[in-house]
Amino acid sequence: MYAHGLAAVLMLFVSMTFGLLAGTQLLLPDLGAGVSWMTWGRLRYDHTQGILFGWLTNAFLAFLYHAVPVLTGRPVLSARLGQWLFGLWNFAVVIPGWLLVLAGFSQPLEWAEFPLVTDAFVILALLLAAIQFLPAFFTKGLEDLYVSSWYVLGGLIFTLFAYPMGNLVPEFLPGAQGAAFSGLWIHDAVGLYVTPLALAIIYYVIPAASRRPIYSHFLSMLGFWLLFFLYPLNGTHHYVYSVIPMSAQIGAITASALLGLDVILVVTNLLLSLRGSGYLARDIPLRFVATGTVFYLLVSIQGSLQAQMAINRAVHFSDWVIGHSHLAMLGFATFAAAGGIAHAWQRIPWARYNRRAMTWSYWLLVTGVLLMVPHLTLAGLAEARLWQSGAPWLESVRAAQLHWLVRVLSAIPLFAGFIAFLIGLVTGPRGAGLAEIETAIGLEPVEHVSPRLAEAS
Amino acid sequence: MRALRMSYIVASVAGVLFFVLSVTLLGVWPARVLQEQSRNMAPENPLGLTRSEMRGRAIYAREGCAYCHTQQVRFTEADMKRFGAPTLAWETRLDYPHLWGTRRIGPDLSRQYQTHPADWHFAHLYSPRSVVADSVMPTYRALFNGAPDQPTQEARDLVSYLDSLGRARELAGPEGEARARKGCNCPDDEMPQMAFHSAVINANAGKARREGPTPALPGNGDIVRGRELYQHNCASCHGPRGHGDGAAGSLRPLPADLSEHQYSPARLSFVLENGVAGTAMPAWRDWSLDDRAAVAAALRELSVGQPEPGIPPATLELGARVYRDNCAQCHGMNGGGDGSAVPELRIVPANLQGVRPTLAQSIRVLRNGIEGTQMAVWTGRLSEAELSAVAYYVRGFYQGEPR
Repeated sequence: MYAHGLAAVLMLFVSMTFGLLAGTQLLLPDLGAGVSWMTWGRLRYDHTQGILFGWLTNAFLAFLYHAVPVLTGRPVLSARLGQWLFGLWNFAVVIPGWLLVLAGFSQPLEWAEFPLVTDAFVILALLLAAIQFLPAFFTKGLEDLYVSSWYVLGGLIFTLFAYPMGNLVPEFLPGAQGAAFSGLWIHDAVGLYVTPLALAIIYYVIPAASRRPIYSHFLSMLGFWLLFFLYPLNGTHHYVYSVIPMSAQIGAITASALLGLDVILVVTNLLLSLRGSGYLARDIPLRFVATGTVFYLLVSIQGSLQAQMAINRAVHFSDWVIGHSHLAMLGFATFAAAGGIAHAWQRIPWARYNRRAMTWSYWLLVTGVLLMVPHLTLAGLAEARLWQSGAPWLESVRAAQLHWLVRVLSAIPLFAGFIAFLIGLVTGPRGAGLAEIETAIGLEPVEHVSPRLAEAS
Repeated sequence: MRALRMSYIVASVAGVLFFVLSVTLLGVWPARVLQEQSRNMAPENPLGLTRSEMRGRAIYAREGCAYCHTQQVRFTEADMKRFGAPTLAWETRLDYPHLWGTRRIGPDLSRQYQTHPADWHFAHLYSPRSVVADSVMPTYRALFNGAPDQPTQEARDLVSYLDSLGRARELAGPEGEARARKGCNCPDDEMPQMAFHSAVINANAGKARREGPTPALPGNGDIVRGRELYQHNCASCHGPRGHGDGAAGSLRPLPADLSEHQYSPARLSFVLENGVAGTAMPAWRDWSLDDRAAVAAALRELSVGQPEPGIPPATLELGARVYRDNCAQCHGMNGGGDGSAVPELRIVPANLQGVRPTLAQSIRVLRNGIEGTQMAVWTGRLSEAELSAVAYYVRGFYQGEPR
């Protein structure tokens, strides 16, 4: 878990560097100097794949090593398997994937840019992860499962289905036909993989850190099932006004609207669980997670709106959508993942933990997100207006420049925030996290507070 | 607890079913419909891609071109006005995997066929800002042997692919559109009908054409705005002072030396509306008439005014004879660029009624020809006296306002 946690943060820096270079090239397009592996397209491929695989997946795996034993009362299957999984994921998927893309081996598919050979290792690793984590959930019977467990089960199992669909089918079905499947995967990558695992963290950390049960277990489960029913039906909203049959588009748009309602329900339940617990100010990981929850609400409502035809007609293809994806991945998922890692870290008796650095990290990252996302949204609105007006194309490029500059500048608080996060994980006294939980809050020593236990108390 | 367990099991099964449903309803079914559409609406023998174009496609995919340039004209008014006919399923039948894209930093490329000549593409890939000053496109120097006119095979492949985009639809012509409409069999379906209602397949405002209207420009263009427009849009090729010495020195023909020519308002308006077909000079149809008038004013400022020398009648007579025997077949009896050979020529010859070169430029062109066009080198074929006589003579066709 420790290894995955550190690998996550280190790979986050690499992925961010790809993103920063790509973002800067929009302002200084000659930055890459025409060197093939420095060109925008390849950096862009590596940026999103790095965030998805390098950062988020490592963070999720780290969190699973902490949470699964607590949730199930059983250890994960095997430490040996864990080493294989770690090695496979980082040294057969992420690093070779990055290098292959830079060398010119890739596929031009959103959230699926790593080449086919890498996909084989992804599927193998996902299988190993399922073997490592899932059996423990089935030992106690389904009715005892906490909602986080459901999200882990759902996320890991459905990604195994969705991943090959998104990565393989468009290679064998031409053009528009393949795009229909691509659209599904673009959404499933976020909806059936990142979202469930991020929500698993949120549902876990909130009761564990605030020592109070989730507001309503019923709402949690209702939210979970609605989410898993609706999310897959959203995909086609990435290709509104395309040649894909209108009835499929309208179905997906309707599902998108319903999904927004479901997210309101999920987030209400989560925020009600936080109400008045008083831990939000004191517990930094909880604060990360709670902020991620708010971003989740915002990004989902935004998503439901921009899927509607009247809005989609204008903002599709613009920086508005780039703002949306950063709000999802950097706002929602990253805050949840960072909170999850920090929460687990606090509970490793021998791990170092630096509260001051974590506090800095939180505020810097919030600043970064609040700088970047609104400016990308404004850029998108400016582009949308100019595109509709029939103005020369370059007008829209010129109009975005100022916002692109702010986007690049937002990298300063973001990098600083993640550096502070890393400092928070590797400096400070050993066991400081645990001590903080025990003393600062004035409760009895806690080793692992299971959400189920918290719920029972 | 039994009930709870049962409900979870039911929900789990439902969850899997919803996933299957999503794949079926939003994946398998649309793919079948699209396959059928592809079959029914395609022209009889749609033009495919050459080996070189297929390789170019792979380069396009590898470099992530699709992440800034979509290849999907949507069924919306704005898209159809800007790019042309919405993309039909059959047009993407060779795309394994598809290159639709989800973001437009640069324009959509589905309708690139004959929108830019190859020399423009090479200059643009090698150094985008040499032809589009405010572009943010990366440079693809790795595809060249050190200069824009030294493309590697990869650059050639990529450019031939770019020029193939939208070709099959364009070449299928009205018969192809009729066939698509019939194959669609959807007279009441609003969206597919839109696909057939676009005025032209390729609506790119920069696509040059040989013939087209000459809108009347407002009289007094705002010269301050004109200068600014010139620096942002024209100077990269024509040079900051209009000497034709911008960064795009690899273009053939070279960008016009605006200081050495005088242009009639009608000619400026025609070129801004229609570009110069066959050359890298695009059209600027998406500019407002006010902006065009402004840049026209800035251009007039660039040309060097010279006192018109008096010409002995004998010289003019000689020039007229030389012109009739050697130039009229292309440039037309009255210098209108409308000689009988014009349909055979890739680039329409200069319309000397609309553009008057300085005497020095006139002689220079006669001596050196214009590389990249059919304008020949005349030094070996005309005597010095004939050459300078015709250089005088052609300047007399000009019908712009005197200055």
